[in-house]
Amino acid sequence: MPQQKRGLPIRARGLTKRYRTRTAVDELSFTAEPGAVTGFLGPNGAGKSTTLRMLLGLVRPTRGDITIGGRHITDLTDPVRAVGALLDARAVHPRRTAADHLLAVAQTAGLGRRRVDEVLDLVGLADAARRRAGEFSLGMHQRLGIATALLGDPGVLVFDEPLNGLDPEGIRWMRVLMRDLATEGRTVLFSSHLMSEMELTADNVVVIGRGRLIAESTLQEFVLAHTTQAVTVRAQALDDLARALTRAGMTVERGQDGGLVVTGADPSSVGRIAAAEGIALDELTRVRESLEDLFLRITGAVADHGSRAA
Amino acid sequence: MRTIRSEWTKLRGLRSTWITAASTVGSGAALGVLGAADLTAPPEDWDPTAASLKGFLFAQLVIGMLGALSVTPEYATGTIGTSLAAVPARSRLLAAKAAVVAAIAVATGLATTLVSFAAVQLMLDVAGLPPATLSDPGVPRALVGGTLYLTIIALIGVAVGALTRSTTSSLAVLVGALLLVPALAPGLPAPLGDWLARHWPITAGQAVYTVVPTDGALTPWLGLAILAAAAAAISTASHAALHTRDA
Repeated sequence: MPQQKRGLPIRARGLTKRYRTRTAVDELSFTAEPGAVTGFLGPNGAGKSTTLRMLLGLVRPTRGDITIGGRHITDLTDPVRAVGALLDARAVHPRRTAADHLLAVAQTAGLGRRRVDEVLDLVGLADAARRRAGEFSLGMHQRLGIATALLGDPGVLVFDEPLNGLDPEGIRWMRVLMRDLATEGRTVLFSSHLMSEMELTADNVVVIGRGRLIAESTLQEFVLAHTTQAVTVRAQALDDLARALTRAGMTVERGQDGGLVVTGADPSSVGRIAAAEGIALDELTRVRESLEDLFLRITGAVADHGSRAA
Repeated sequence: MRTIRSEWTKLRGLRSTWITAASTVGSGAALGVLGAADLTAPPEDWDPTAASLKGFLFAQLVIGMLGALSVTPEYATGTIGTSLAAVPARSRLLAAKAAVVAAIAVATGLATTLVSFAAVQLMLDVAGLPPATLSDPGVPRALVGGTLYLTIIALIGVAVGALTRSTTSSLAVLVGALLLVPALAPGLPAPLGDWLARHWPITAGQAVYTVVPTDGALTPWLGLAILAAAAAAISTASHAALHTRDA
């Protein structure tokens, strides 16, 4: 039975950050709910980091706001206990020991060495406590960053590109950790520029491109709403089959490998038509656009739109 | 108090803090000794106390960098994000840094002053020149003043670090303010040059650790007050900059 921890929702409303020559975040509104992992998805330069930095009070919005449980971070009495963040795992003084790095953050919340030892244990860095961060590998940096975020046992966790550069074991560890944190009732918001990182991890997705919201929904709905179904089919009498399918109102194209690609159809209807025509099939496969393709298509469209407008 | 404890942990854990502190004492005393080494006869208006603190010329630069280094590495390494997320009240963070630097600087400044004074007076005594003693009028004030002078320079370093957000820029600004302006002022056209030679906060502040007043210098405490006012002004500017700029 996991320990229950009540998280607070993260809410952005009309969030806008304009720099002199460009708009990094543009009228962005979304919510990350407690008890769920929300994936914050967008290509590099979409405004994800700027959004998270505004959440943490490091960057001031030009307009709008982003709050934790309705309050701006500067109004929280004990920010380390309210929200934990990993923005850049490399952001550690290379000559400071892991324990000192953590202790300095812990002390701002009135916490001491005992809590530091606990989180080091939790992320598997207990043996490296006295080592200087400059000697750390990327994976160890990442774990130290996670330990920093967990120090105050916060109900809200924010991770910027937490899976970036991790080895498969590290990725699995991070995924399990994020899932566990959400199961305990916490709000978990993590950003990524890779759609594949959302699978198995995110419950909900917030997709942005060029600083604007593209989609906000559960991961499942997002995939269902945006993927087109297709079937690839192969047979000796390929031309006859193509004619029959076209007659039935299906969109048929030649595939690269000599088969047919039928979009907007499911395998059973394609199979029935082939049977009615007496055509023997060599292959009948359902094809789903990969999440990566989907993501590129959707954010790419917005990128095009943006450059036209500019 | 929590923020001060946190800042103490940050500075304590870095070897550079203790190397700069030791360098302040070492360079201050060494230059003081070197400066007094070729004296054969006491010049007119002989001030053995001020002579023993000649090493401040360089020691002030080192202690100024000690102050700047409480801020600039946070920007170089990116830890400023973590620091400000933990302490969103930015003035509190900068004030805590200044408090910790002040504590280290008082101890370092006192050590620099006493070691320089003791070493050079001993040397003068051995060389048969009239040394200063703690019971001479004005000497205790000069030694306390010297400690305060170095402490204020360290605090100026904190402010310069917060304004420039860069170690190299801080060094450039401190070299300019502490060494170049005082050195170049006498070469400037008379009204400006004279005014700078008297009132440039660094030069003015140095009056606090002289016992025999030099020609045209301000009184010791007025000099220190001008330095302190300049430090207060630049600190205010650094707080304002930290507030308005995105981290």
